Amino acid sequence: MTAQEEPRIGVFVCHCGHNIAGVVDVVRVAEYAKSLPHVVFATDEMFMCSDAGQQLIRDKIAEYDLNRVVVASCSPRMHEPTFRRVVEEAGLNRYLFEQVNLREHVSWCHMREPELSTEKAIDLVRMAVARAAKLEGLPVKSVKVTPRTLVVGGGITGIRAALDIADRGFEVVLVEREPKLGGNLVKWNHVFPVDKSGKKILGPLIKRVKSHERVRVFTNSEVSDFDGYIGNFVATIRNNKTGKEEQVEVGTVIIATGFKAYEPVEYYAYGQSPDIMTLAEFHQRPGDELLKRPSDGRPVKKIVCIGCVGSREPGKQGHEHCSRYCCTAVAKTAADIRSDVEEVVVLYQDVRTYGKGHEEFHRLARLRYVMYSKFPREEKPQVTVADGELTVKWHDVLSGDDFEFHPDIIVLASAMVPPDGIDDVAKMFGLTRSADGFFNPEHIKLAPLTTHTAGVMIAGTAQAAKNATESVVDASGAAAKAVGLMARGEVEIESTTAQVIEDLCSSCHTCVAACPYGAIAMDESKDPPVAHVTSAKCHGCGTCAAACPSSAILMLHSTDEQIMAMVEAFLTPAPEIGGGEA
Amino acid sequence: MATTAETKTQDEQWEPRILAFCCNWCSYAGADLAGTSRIQYPTNVRIMRVNCTGRIDVDFILAALEKGADGVLVSGCHPGDCHYTSGNLKLRARWALLEEALKQAGVDPRRVRLQWASASEAQAFADGVRIIVDQVRKLGPMKEAWK
Ligand SMILES: Cc1cc2nc3c(=O)[nH]c(=O)nc-3n(C[C@H](O)[C@H](O)[C@H](O)COP(=O)(O)OP(=O)(O)OC[C@H]3O[C@@H](n4cnc5c(N)ncnc54)[C@H](O)[C@@H]3O)c2cc1C
Ligand code: SF4
Ligand code: FES
Repeated sequence: MTAQEEPRIGVFVCHCGHNIAGVVDVVRVAEYAKSLPHVVFATDEMFMCSDAGQQLIRDKIAEYDLNRVVVASCSPRMHEPTFRRVVEEAGLNRYLFEQVNLREHVSWCHMREPELSTEKAIDLVRMAVARAAKLEGLPVKSVKVTPRTLVVGGGITGIRAALDIADRGFEVVLVEREPKLGGNLVKWNHVFPVDKSGKKILGPLIKRVKSHERVRVFTNSEVSDFDGYIGNFVATIRNNKTGKEEQVEVGTVIIATGFKAYEPVEYYAYGQSPDIMTLAEFHQRPGDELLKRPSDGRPVKKIVCIGCVGSREPGKQGHEHCSRYCCTAVAKTAADIRSDVEEVVVLYQDVRTYGKGHEEFHRLARLRYVMYSKFPREEKPQVTVADGELTVKWHDVLSGDDFEFHPDIIVLASAMVPPDGIDDVAKMFGLTRSADGFFNPEHIKLAPLTTHTAGVMIAGTAQAAKNATESVVDASGAAAKAVGLMARGEVEIESTTAQVIEDLCSSCHTCVAACPYGAIAMDESKDPPVAHVTSAKCHGCGTCAAACPSSAILMLHSTDEQIMAMVEAFLTPAPEIGGGEA
Repeated sequence: MATTAETKTQDEQWEPRILAFCCNWCSYAGADLAGTSRIQYPTNVRIMRVNCTGRIDVDFILAALEKGADGVLVSGCHPGDCHYTSGNLKLRARWALLEEALKQAGVDPRRVRLQWASASEAQAFADGVRIIVDQVRKLGPMKEAWK
């Protein structure tokens, strides 16, 4: 489209306050950029993403008739959409923008190397300018959004999201693999910060979602296949009991697959006595047996609760995070049962009752003479079982004394960990997982509910350990994201797909086999037949382009030429000005 | 202050120049996290972002070495975690050919490194950079190795 016109490149180097400029000599980088081929304007600026920075780009595009823009600032994973929009507002095609990562990839990871960082920045800018000169505008494509949402997981998060969406007039398909809706919360007999059981809280919501005219509930079911792209997904739902499968078309997806309570094998003699149980197991005991000892049915008089079981352990994979529900759940549980027993002792590393109304439970527990005793992280309490009797020994940090206690039962507040089958869900929906094992959001601070698969949201404990209140906040947020997409009815998609250069195609079928999405087929109407890419099916990975022996595949926005331009620019530096011998 | 070829001819002043290809979804994000977490690693690597390691043509790597890169690092999602399901496996299959081609050309295959680092494995990413930089430093400048 723009191949013929002479590139006129503008380079904008960002200080990011002190973040980049504190390490990289941004003035020198901008000066250097002026010497590069096709660069007609270069400057440095305090904050490129600020209103002033954005205006600067628009102004300079007009003033210098720029047709390519390079911004050297933070990660494109953060602000590429921002700057693409800015150049578009000034009349440039969004694909004529290129970003250089001087913050995450330079100043922040080479903080004590100002000279070498500046050299690196100069190289990266030279590479980006070389690529920019080869960029071409691409048509901005938009597609229709099917007005229906797939919600995976029928816990409180999935139910809340389904109701929000359905109440706003859109259809929902809610898939739950268990026979019943409700997830984990429905099992708990005391739920903070209200004074109700999980059943009481969820009952009315379950009833409403099941009878909602715009919600179809599939229980005993899982998504067995998932295909398509934002706005136009096709999900296959399999009933695990009957084996029956059904396909549904949806425009958006919310993953609300939740968590499971960790089974703390190897902790505190768990498994050696029925009287040692997790908080999750304790909560599921029938009401009339709650305070009877599982081993012999005798009334429970003394209880020990232990916190942070499988949570907050630096260096232990999947167990480094704080599970966030336990301190408050323990406080509430202890306060609730205190008057029915003689003694409740809570052994903790730290108490973190951070939520609205949570500290009140901690205070209530203490007011009711629940004993709190802090143990050192590096010296956990010792639990032993002998002749059915439990012994707990620990060191109390605050008094400096060692204690021994013989409780009737021990309740372990175990970690929230990802549920079984999360790997399959990750693969099916193209999600990645963070160190805690839960799904990664698109951005941990700025976009916690969306993911890198456009159109797929995550909510509740599928995203991270959290309590029900927070899960519901997520659910409504993710629902709003889905409704936003569906209400607009159309959404823009990336144009960065593969194209076959038919003259070069040697009909070898290599790409057909290489494409993970079956997006390439041979067009038999041509003689000889040539490969043809269905762009709607192409996800833009570029595997076909790398595999093609005839270089017959053009990866838009990631062409061989654009990549090689960067490689060459890195290794054959243009002469420098403004320092050394020019 | 500009570093010119002249000032860098001495052996002890030579710094390995290494090109890195990172896939957008795992390793580029992992490198971002290394920055956000202020994990410090050698400055020798210049990162290029590709959608997927499956996009990487062995020719890109050979060309980089031919043009004077002292080493090439490729970092992608773990097998099974590729955003496009299997691009990394396709590259891994080509990697053996790359190493073979390098050997035949008399280039030590330790100049190239293929690693997996997820979006959360900032440390693994940084460690990988350190490994290739150390390896290449031992091997010396590329122009002396290429036959
Ligand atoms: C012992 C304990 C006590 C707690 N007490 C409290 C409390 O008092 N107050 C509070 O606010 N929070 C409490 N919590 C936290 C609370 O349970 C969670 O915040 C809440 O359950 C999260 O809801 P969710 O819908 O995100 O996940 P979940 O409740 O785990 O629901 C997820 C649902 O998804 C389904 N699912 C999973 N994978 C798939 C799949 N592949 N396909 C289909 N369906 C799938 C599951 O079967 C499940 O029904 C407690 C947690 C524990 C462990
Ligand atoms: S770029 Fe990837 S998804 Fe698109 S056609 Fe090529 S192999 Fe298939
Ligand atoms: S997207 Fe990371 S290797 Fe394919």
